[in-house]
Amino acid sequence: MNQNQSQQSSDGRHEDDTALSEFLASLMEYTPTIPDELVEHYLGKSGFQCPDLRLSVLLSPIRLVAVATQKFVAEVATDALQQCKARQASIVKDKRDKQQKDKRLILTMEDLSKALREHGVNVKHQEYFADNPATGMDPASRDE
Amino acid sequence: MSDGGGENGSEQTQPRKSGGDDFAQAIAKIAVAQICESEGFQAFQNSALETLSDIAVRYIASIGKNAHSYANLAGRTECNVFDIIQSLEDLGSVQGFSGASFVDHSLSSSGVIREIDQYVGESDHMPFAYSIPEFPVVKERKLTSSFFQTGQEPPYEHIPSWLPVFPEPHTYARLPLTDEKAIEPMTRMELQKDRKVGQSVLNLHQRLVSNGLEGPSFVYPGDPDKVMKQAEESNPFLAAPLEFGEKEVSRVILPAKLANEPALENRVTENHVMNNRFAVLETFAPAIEAIKEGSFDSEGQKRVLLNRRPTVKFKIGIGKKSFGSVIHSSPENEGLKKISPWFKGESEKDEKKRRAEKILKESMENSQELAQL
Repeated sequence: MNQNQSQQSSDGRHEDDTALSEFLASLMEYTPTIPDELVEHYLGKSGFQCPDLRLSVLLSPIRLVAVATQKFVAEVATDALQQCKARQASIVKDKRDKQQKDKRLILTMEDLSKALREHGVNVKHQEYFADNPATGMDPASRDE
Repeated sequence: MSDGGGENGSEQTQPRKSGGDDFAQAIAKIAVAQICESEGFQAFQNSALETLSDIAVRYIASIGKNAHSYANLAGRTECNVFDIIQSLEDLGSVQGFSGASFVDHSLSSSGVIREIDQYVGESDHMPFAYSIPEFPVVKERKLTSSFFQTGQEPPYEHIPSWLPVFPEPHTYARLPLTDEKAIEPMTRMELQKDRKVGQSVLNLHQRLVSNGLEGPSFVYPGDPDKVMKQAEESNPFLAAPLEFGEKEVSRVILPAKLANEPALENRVTENHVMNNRFAVLETFAPAIEAIKEGSFDSEGQKRVLLNRRPTVKFKIGIGKKSFGSVIHSSPENEGLKKISPWFKGESEKDEKKRRAEKILKESMENSQELAQL
């Protein structure tokens, strides 16, 4: 049905369609970290309606959304990680004594807001006072 | 992945806002934490994790919203993959994707899809840590079938046939109460309550009489002979009327101030208050006499008044009786009788007492009027 809608006369388009359906079929074998149920729940809340999902590959966009969201989060996390590493590198230059403590890679609000700004999300969230590493960074006993 | 930065146990200590979406948000947090861990983070700040999971959730919701609007734009209510791809392109336009500059590019060969394909190929296969039950649990709603579906004709012409059928008539129609056993306890309670009230009213009346105060003139419609006899003993105004001249009535000299008052006004008020005045005449005799003197200055009119006195008394009786009969014939009481035929004796007694109560109430009001006088 969907193929018919988008199908054009050209052969290139036809190849694209088969490629797309193959990709979507491959998605069904890939289980994303973000569970389908969560995606379904929030899509439903946003007014999204789609025909019964489990029947056909082409008619199931849930997986696609789940993978896309996972990709988005992963990209943000990667950016934040880069921010974190860059910050630590600059700190390490100044203060060598804190080296051990700062070695851990921590997802902080500071890095996250910088990473999110690149993706068009402005975070003006005040970090919790309890989150401040200065308030009480426990020694390495709490490390995994 | 460990909880970093000295916020151990913050889950327990922080007062959590209880929304309807706690479960979904908790799952989103776990999923986001898993993704962050796979990217190489070792720890997180709680606020950062909450922010990121919130944004992930909003990302899903905005995909859904955009896809829905694209579907609507195409004249559909249900979305398909191409709506999703289009909305993904919208959301990816901040970062940019390959082929975004071509306006007429095919959706099935979109750069966004290629990027996702690439990501799927590169990333580790890491399913969610827990198994999740299907949520939210949606109950199957059973709608009432319409008139058309059931094949019924709507009872009135103005009701279209696509509206749901009316419920069974016994659910909304008001029917006469036939089940006596069901009513019995309620009625009994009511009767007992009324009996208590009646008892206290009688006690009050007796106390009033024994204190020498002129109590309200009681008329007992249930058993007139006996009660009237009783009442005559306590209430001189229920005795047989005196002829004029049979008893000496001392004339009261009126103060000059009252004598000047216009007669008309007094006459009007007198018609109103006549009943009351005679009921408590004994106690207020001098004052009332004085007022009467004021309104009727000539001797002839005074005589008329005295003649009228027994007549008025007679009217009291009629008035009360008619009042009683109104109570008697009220549909409420009729219903009560019908409902509880084996309480007949009691309900009759009860009615008596209720009437007595009403009369007492009336007399209380009258005494207020007297006070105004």
